[in-house]
Amino acid sequence: MSIESINGCIGCEECIKSCPTDVIRLNPTTKKAEIVYQEDCQICHLCRMYCPVDAITISPEKSIPVIVSWG
Amino acid sequence: MGLIMKKQRNIFRLLILALFFIIVPIVLYNLGDFPKRSFLMDVLSIITILGFSLFLSQFFSTRINQKLVKDIRMVNVLKIHKFIGYLFISILLLHPFFIVVPKFFDNGVSPTDAFLTLITSFNSLGVILGIIAYTSMLILLITAFFRFKIYLKYKTWRYLHGYLTTLFIITATWHVINLGRHGTNPFSIYYILAVVSVIYFLLKTYLFKTSKK
Amino acid sequence: MKESTNNLSRRKFIALAGGAASFAAIAAMGLPTDWALNTTKVDVDSLSFDKIKTDVLVIGGGMAGLFAAVKAHDAGAKVLMVSKGRLGASGQTPFAKGIFTYDPKKEKLSIDEFAQAVSRSALGTNNPAYTKQLAEHSLDRVNELKQWGFFDSSLYNKSFSKPINDRNIPLQERVVITHLIKENNKIVGAAGFSLDSEKIIFYEAKSVILCTGAGGFKPNGFPICDLTHDGTIMAYNIGAKVTGKEWNDGHPAKSENAAACYDGWGDMFEKKPETTSVEIRHDLGVDMNYTAYINGGAAQMGPPGMGKQENIVVGGPYRPEEFNNAGGHQGGKKEGEKRPPRKEGKGGPPGMGGSVVGGSSAGMSIHKAEGIVPINDQCESNISGLFAAGDALGSYMAGAIYTQIGSSLAGSAVQGAVAGEAAAKYSKTVKTASISSSKIKEIKEEILAPLKRDAGYSAAWVTQTLQGIMIPNFIIYIKKENLLKGALAYVEELRDHHLPTLRAKNFHELRLVHETANMIVTAEMKLKASIMRTESRCSHYRIDYPEVDYENWNVWINIFKGEDGTMQFEKQPFNTWPI
Ligand SMILES: Cc1cc2nc3c(=O)[nH]c(=O)nc-3n(C[C@H](O)[C@H](O)[C@H](O)COP(=O)(O)OP(=O)(O)OC[C@H]3O[C@@H](n4cnc5c(N)ncnc54)[C@H](O)[C@@H]3O)c2cc1C
Ligand code: HEM
Ligand code: HEM
Repeated sequence: MSIESINGCIGCEECIKSCPTDVIRLNPTTKKAEIVYQEDCQICHLCRMYCPVDAITISPEKSIPVIVSWG
Repeated sequence: MGLIMKKQRNIFRLLILALFFIIVPIVLYNLGDFPKRSFLMDVLSIITILGFSLFLSQFFSTRINQKLVKDIRMVNVLKIHKFIGYLFISILLLHPFFIVVPKFFDNGVSPTDAFLTLITSFNSLGVILGIIAYTSMLILLITAFFRFKIYLKYKTWRYLHGYLTTLFIITATWHVINLGRHGTNPFSIYYILAVVSVIYFLLKTYLFKTSKK
Repeated sequence: MKESTNNLSRRKFIALAGGAASFAAIAAMGLPTDWALNTTKVDVDSLSFDKIKTDVLVIGGGMAGLFAAVKAHDAGAKVLMVSKGRLGASGQTPFAKGIFTYDPKKEKLSIDEFAQAVSRSALGTNNPAYTKQLAEHSLDRVNELKQWGFFDSSLYNKSFSKPINDRNIPLQERVVITHLIKENNKIVGAAGFSLDSEKIIFYEAKSVILCTGAGGFKPNGFPICDLTHDGTIMAYNIGAKVTGKEWNDGHPAKSENAAACYDGWGDMFEKKPETTSVEIRHDLGVDMNYTAYINGGAAQMGPPGMGKQENIVVGGPYRPEEFNNAGGHQGGKKEGEKRPPRKEGKGGPPGMGGSVVGGSSAGMSIHKAEGIVPINDQCESNISGLFAAGDALGSYMAGAIYTQIGSSLAGSAVQGAVAGEAAAKYSKTVKTASISSSKIKEIKEEILAPLKRDAGYSAAWVTQTLQGIMIPNFIIYIKKENLLKGALAYVEELRDHHLPTLRAKNFHELRLVHETANMIVTAEMKLKASIMRTESRCSHYRIDYPEVDYENWNVWINIFKGEDGTMQFEKQPFNTWPI
């Protein structure tokens, strides 16, 4: 499921800025980071590593089919 | 015979308190489907959550809880009240630092930077509430510790103490529901129920029973 | 010397490439997001735009962009830096942990000997001017990085921000550049849109440095899904020459959860960077793809390159004797040694233990072997005022195969600095740059078109279809003419009938549309260049032309847009500059 959940978010936006593929956005009412484009997550963990409060959970499975060279 | 019964009743009352403010949160913690973290972080989370729920229990280890006072005498009630108060305030003073503990174990954002980001994220209502709660808790601690040195009439002190705790408990609860990584519905409902009943009892004592005292 | 590649009819193609076709069909099933109505919520017509003026515009916030901005500023130019992602946290830079330093006091090889050794491993494909430049400047760049705190953290945003903030260089993040703008044969700026303010932005600049990195087909297992060769394609569109599309990066991924870049690399992304010294190899071409092709894919791969007898195959990509000692046949093991040492236990790097799959970096060539063609050793392109550095520059610094460990990161730093100074110098010779209002109108239309479409294909669906066509081992890795042509027919179909009808309902999707368009052009370039190079060398392997052809192919292939808008190809002999 790639990036799975954000728990205990303080709305600092570090993850939003650090995501290379623009997966996370700030929810304008709750002022918390929200996973909006999960299918574009490349499972690089930059968001998690930049998060100051260790709020992000990521799993190694991708949420859309994975195309590789052989299988 | 009567003595034994009384003892059992005492234990029973304390058990109810323990059940409601220790066992229930632990059960909720284990029933919830929360993302797994390291053992250390889980322990710190449980300590924080228990610290908070025991603050809620503080309201029942005072004169508000007249049945308990009758059963085990005020001195003993206060012993419990003071013990839990001082112990968990001291622990929760560290809570904002607990949150950045994982940053000590990686090579990324430094704990100091993470902490500075945390306490300056004024974008977040939860953080502002947390800071208000933290400040009132600190004042609560200081005024409690120096209650004989601050030249207040005992009654005034008690009012101060009571109002501070109310401010504290409301902001803290809101903070926890807003921010807590375990702030799912069951937990939130539990906190709200607890706070509503606590404030109900407090107001009841303040508004209607003051003369009786 | 021009060569054009023939087109194939669609029917003929299907007969040729049943395999690729079925792959594409499988890919297409994955997402229920093909042709559909567009549900735009953006009020496109009332969108405003900003216009910003600067001397030097640096596009890209990786290692190359950092040094380009800093050095252009220090050379006296007014600099603005813009990046699709965050400074030091986008592109490939955040994941690289070994940086090459040539310390003349410690090295046994002289700089000339170093360049010669690289050349022997790269079978002549490297450009020695850039190879030597790398060695000459690397130590200075590394020392600057050290001062900024680069080696103190596994995350680079803080150390990269230091010199930028110290110099008050304006920085705009999360701005996707889509167009370079040329007027009267000179660069006058660039344009793009901001993901956050949802605005179009025009940058008027006397010179532009492309530090946009490389790219791929948003592959699974290599953290380059934000890179789609944007800089290369933008430059190509205004007439710049582009090179290196036939080469392939052969990084494998773990077959279990192949898409999990982080997990595939063990704990490497969490490590602080370290320096590396001279150690020349011949790494990470398509040897493993060849083994898989011959032995039949993952089932028989076993731990590759670990001396397992049945994994030794005969034939395959030629590896010079001198560089043959490096642990067996595969990329896997060398991979482990290529990077700084890592913790034991927590799952090896890709290719170490467990079975692996190919295609994790599909669409990417060898670092520095693809990108804008330089006309000299100053990172200058054939368009006045347009410079490029790092992975965006086809400098052939290390050749068409990985030769020097850690040189990719160092090369981006070195070239960024060179380009920064050169661009600052150039911008002093130009009076002003301004973009005409007709250009502004035209480009605004082009950028926003996908938001305005009432219906269209989704970028996600087209991307998956493209992946299905391009990523199979028998298409871009183990190449043969008929399959390349078959895939090309498919890609041309996407180019002609899907690209013009991509839809976007918000700015995130708008970005995906522009990226998808760039991937389709890249795919066309890769296939056509691969068809053209009728030999095998370094990381380009033609099973129908398996030998190195020193007689005819000691040349680089340059690609450019012809007068009529079609893709043109030319050969540029090794060790020469374009005319
Ligand atoms: C997992 C991994 C491990 C690696 N390990 C090593 C190693 O150990 N040693 C080594 O030397 N090399 C290594 N490399 C290679 C190295 O990371 C790259 O060669 C180098 O970082 C390239 O730097 P760059 O600045 O040229 O490009 P990048 O770092 O790719 O930066 C490109 C920048 O351009 C921006 N950009 C792209 N398109 C646009 C657009 N349209 N508009 C605006 N901005 C845009 C991006 O946001 C990004 O900021 C590794 C790469 C990877 C992926
Ligand atoms: C978060 C912690 C605390 C909470 C929520 C809390 C709450 C309360 C409440 C609601 C009362 C009743 C006030 C009233 O009847 O007017 C009270 C009384 C009191 N508290 Fe606390 N308190 C806390 C900590 C402390 C501490 C640390 C001390 C240490 C000395 C303390 C000492 C007292 C005393 C002496 C009384 C008066 C008892 C009485 O006369 O009923 N409290 N507290
Ligand atoms: C004395 C006042 C405070 C109390 C009683 C308190 C209590 C709590 C509790 C019980 C939780 C929930 C933990 C969980 O769900 O696991 C929590 C979460 C949190 N608190 Fe506080 N807090 C206080 C002050 C602060 C302050 C000052 C900050 C920092 C500015 C802060 C930051 C956070 C954050 C970021 C979380 C979410 C992360 C997490 O749940 O682990 N708190 N707090």
